[in-house]
Amino acid sequence: MNIPGLGQATPAATFSAPTIQAAIAVHDLQANSEWRFEVAYGQSIEVKILSGSAEIFGTELAINHTYTFRGTKSSIFTWHGCRIEVSGACEEYMAEETPMVTYVNTHFALEKLRDDASQTGGEGPRVLIVGPNNAGKTSLVKLLTSYAIRMGRQPMVINADSRESLLSIPGSVTATPFASILDVEQGWGSSPTSGPSPVPVKLPLCYYYGLPSPEDNIKLYKPILTRLALAAANRLADDPVIKATGMIIDTPGIISQGKGGYDLISHIVSEFAVNTILVLGSERLHSEMMRRFSTYRTSLGQTITLVKLDKSGGCVDRDETFLQQMQEAAIKEYFFGDPPKRTLSPHTQQVGFDDITVYKIQECMFPPPKHDLKAPNSMPASAINTSFLPGGEEESEQLGLYEKIEPSSMMLHCLLAVMYASTRDSHETIRDASVMGFVYVAEVDEKRKRLKILAPLNTKITDRPMVWGSWPETTSTFQTPLKNMSALYRTICFDAVYNS
Amino acid sequence: MTSEHADDVAEDYKRALEDLTMNSRYEISNLTVIARENTEHALAISEALKSHIKQTSSQKKLPAFYVLDSVVKNVGTPYTIFLSRGLYSTFMEAYALVDNSVRRKMDEMLKTWKEPVPGALDTRPVFPRDVTSPIENALIKARTSAIQAHQEHTRSQQQILGRGRPGPSPAPYRETPTPPNTYRQPPPPAQGYNSGYPPQQYPPPTNGQHYSNQPNGHQPYGLPPRPPSQQYPQQTASAPSWQKSQLQQGYSAPENSIDVLNSDIANLITVSKADFAQNPWDGSIQTRLKALLDLQTILQSQKLPPDQIALIKIQVAQLSEASKATPKAAPKPPTPVAAAPSQPPQQNSLSSLLGPGALAALLARQSATPQPTPPTQIRSPQIAPQAPYNPPPPAASSTPVPDPNSLLERLRAAGMLPGAPVSSTPTPLSSLPANISSGFPPPFMNTPPMPTRTPLGEIPNDVVLKTTSLKIPRPHLIASLYEKLGAPCTQCGRRFQSDAEGKKKKQAHMDWHFRVHQRMAEAEKRGQHRSWYVDELDWIRSRELEGDQNATDGDNTNGLGGASSSVASKPKLQYLPVPDDPAHASSLCPICQEKFEMKWLDEAQEFVWMDAKNVGERIYHASCYAEATNDVSNAQIRRGTPEPVLGKRKAEDEHIALRSKIKTESYW
Repeated sequence: MNIPGLGQATPAATFSAPTIQAAIAVHDLQANSEWRFEVAYGQSIEVKILSGSAEIFGTELAINHTYTFRGTKSSIFTWHGCRIEVSGACEEYMAEETPMVTYVNTHFALEKLRDDASQTGGEGPRVLIVGPNNAGKTSLVKLLTSYAIRMGRQPMVINADSRESLLSIPGSVTATPFASILDVEQGWGSSPTSGPSPVPVKLPLCYYYGLPSPEDNIKLYKPILTRLALAAANRLADDPVIKATGMIIDTPGIISQGKGGYDLISHIVSEFAVNTILVLGSERLHSEMMRRFSTYRTSLGQTITLVKLDKSGGCVDRDETFLQQMQEAAIKEYFFGDPPKRTLSPHTQQVGFDDITVYKIQECMFPPPKHDLKAPNSMPASAINTSFLPGGEEESEQLGLYEKIEPSSMMLHCLLAVMYASTRDSHETIRDASVMGFVYVAEVDEKRKRLKILAPLNTKITDRPMVWGSWPETTSTFQTPLKNMSALYRTICFDAVYNS
Repeated sequence: MTSEHADDVAEDYKRALEDLTMNSRYEISNLTVIARENTEHALAISEALKSHIKQTSSQKKLPAFYVLDSVVKNVGTPYTIFLSRGLYSTFMEAYALVDNSVRRKMDEMLKTWKEPVPGALDTRPVFPRDVTSPIENALIKARTSAIQAHQEHTRSQQQILGRGRPGPSPAPYRETPTPPNTYRQPPPPAQGYNSGYPPQQYPPPTNGQHYSNQPNGHQPYGLPPRPPSQQYPQQTASAPSWQKSQLQQGYSAPENSIDVLNSDIANLITVSKADFAQNPWDGSIQTRLKALLDLQTILQSQKLPPDQIALIKIQVAQLSEASKATPKAAPKPPTPVAAAPSQPPQQNSLSSLLGPGALAALLARQSATPQPTPPTQIRSPQIAPQAPYNPPPPAASSTPVPDPNSLLERLRAAGMLPGAPVSSTPTPLSSLPANISSGFPPPFMNTPPMPTRTPLGEIPNDVVLKTTSLKIPRPHLIASLYEKLGAPCTQCGRRFQSDAEGKKKKQAHMDWHFRVHQRMAEAEKRGQHRSWYVDELDWIRSRELEGDQNATDGDNTNGLGGASSSVASKPKLQYLPVPDDPAHASSLCPICQEKFEMKWLDEAQEFVWMDAKNVGERIYHASCYAEATNDVSNAQIRRGTPEPVLGKRKAEDEHIALRSKIKTESYW
């Protein structure tokens, strides 16, 4: 991982596909068509809408404003036709067939439910989106969220997928109310920082699961989601605008791919009182959902509306490398911001081994092979997991949630979640606590029993338990730049104080 | 060859139209495509379409209108030109024949014709104003007449009228020399009405009209026959002038600022008209509308010096704010107060609009003008000769004899209006017999005011969460994500309504952009950092503000509080400016031996030490000091563990988990 602007040269990503070399290209998009593009990590393109109207995942783009995209696979859609100017290298093509009509109609159908809800003071639709990996779930969530925002709504967006993050670091699950425009360049936007933000910040509530797949430790995943649902329900009860808008819930693709996963869907449906399920792109999943939920009643006595939606042709498989890069980008952004738009200066501090309390997340006794995340169907692990679902109390005691550990060089380059809890709290309390933030272990000195950690800001964190999970996997590239960063930071602050 | 071919095309088109029995998107878009592909035969197709609309049965009229709508919006010229010819008669004749739900749809459609084509860069309305406004005016008139008729009818026939729609009955208002038009009679009194109705404020009308044969409908009030409020003649008078003045406006040569002002006023009039249509009982709206019309007349009939125009402009701007602020309250019976003032009508209405002093100069000017436009002149029914539509404005309002061709008559003849009364209020007045008001479905109630955000309920939204329903394209709904939301911000594309509230929001929004840009550079220099996430309690309590306001004071978020800017219960920050004295600049808290957290505080506009407190000569962490002195109230500031909302943590925890002795890397 490279820290931009700090001297480490970025090796340019190699391309096999045809690219446009830094030339300025102008494209005319017909009405109802989509311009799909991929920008590799380390590259960037600039896009400008010259005329017409255009939107990215539901967020309307301003005319003649230059948008910069880095490391993304995205698309620009137009309802009315538009002309765009693109400079920079990217893979791109034009698509005329999109499921956008269905998607926008879905939005309007939800909007009607929201109208009803705000008139009667009732609750807006709670929408669960399921589908296999790379079916476009998150894109659909984003689209529905943006449309709702444009209509003056405030949807509560739940991300239950710990593999990818929403306004946070992978490994976490979040609930975020959205009232302001999404940051189309970055994806969703940013959680609060100490400085101004060109796009209004969003305020996520974050819990740490710390593993890539829900099935890695279902005993941890389920209670965390229960807690997340509880907090979200509390917010909804207090907040009439969000209440009338309802929730939009994104899920990990893996739970749509096997029986253990279906049980997890049932769990989510009951915890979040889901009353609308959108099934993306899988006939089999749809019929399975029909079977499970056609006679189901939510806790409020509602039936569940189940709809199958087509997958967009624009959905691309993201390989492990891309996911890895996404993850690194999310971590980097958490600590260092999104340069050049916003540069954040994290803070390093040294702590003794004895000063901190670290809990390691216990993984499932039958952990799925780490690099086989995509093929859970054939995995015996999932079947075994679910076999102790109903009455697995004794087993859970054996397994435990966390194990208190002594810091060691194993932790080097790992992320720890700092919890809103006390070091003396029970494991359950820590599990149910929300995340205060993340720290990165930059150095471990086993001889002197000291750690050097990178925290987003300079406050005391040693009185809080830290949770160590195996996800996200991190690499060691934070190290070198860190020193530079500290030096730079020191100079800047010094200057700022004494020259002002 | 062309003409023969055109006939064929028209014939085909006609046949296709005849197959259009229901509101089918596919067929409509198909017909639109055909129209687009045959623009060389636009005239023939337009004629076919128009005659189809006229001839087809009333159930099929709406789909046919949708074809027309789709063609003008999606294809545009030359269809717009051909179809605008005779649009008035096409529209009104159909309107008279269809039932109420279809009328509502037609009202909506008419509304969209006054706006630019969705998504188009062209900001001109779908149909030119001079095509749509006669229709609009006719509808408003029909509406008001219906109300008036209803009231008269109710009063005179209260006993007779048992239920439902009566057959055509002699409408009492015809006995009056004054035409029905927009005159709105006070409804039967609500309770307590009489007491507020002293026999004063009704001076003899100054314009010489006679009211002696005022119907006896007023007798139930227990008051002697009296001249009505000035609104009466005024309304009558101003009605024809609407069209006249609007037409004039449409044809007059541009005159920059006056034109802007004129168009502002025209907009306000439109708004007021819409308000009036929705709230016909509200006297203040009526007064305002009238005043606006008068003002328009003055402006158009005279040359005013720039300073007076500027003055009017300011007033108009204020008025437009105010008119937006007026809530769309449920219609209420007018109170006599609205009719109270005793000045000459025009002056009266203008003062009610602009304040008595503000227009003194204007009025003086008016009287000093060699050829002033006295109110009476306005009243003279000048049907603008250049009226492009046919038949002429149906107002016929200046003739006491009901015009058999008038809209109202036609509506009545078509059986769509009961003999006289139609209640056009959404909620029936409590003073009206329930069975009467409920007996007449309100056909006109749905003329939504243009500029406010259109709730989706008003746009036909028939989408349900069913695969088949979701697959049908509904281009009209897309508009509610674009042009219905107003104009976009140039920076971020967020849309804002063009009404006063929207403008205010946009102003605040642009200010926010500006501030952020300004502070970005500054923030870059001093370094910024990610805040901690908020905890459960703060998160549940926080509220998303208007989006951008959330971030405006992001600097104030202190470390532990996270994004407390948006948190309702924000603890008061305790801080000290960073000492200038270098000796103090590196001082430690005597209790915990730690340095102070320095940050830029926007409130104070300087670098401060957070959580710092000066006690005597020494600087302490406020929280340390509070702990040491057991000052519990101040200890809140260092709280990281919130009051447990869901969990069961105790507040003492944070005190016990005291600051352990970590050595932070020293920067300062």
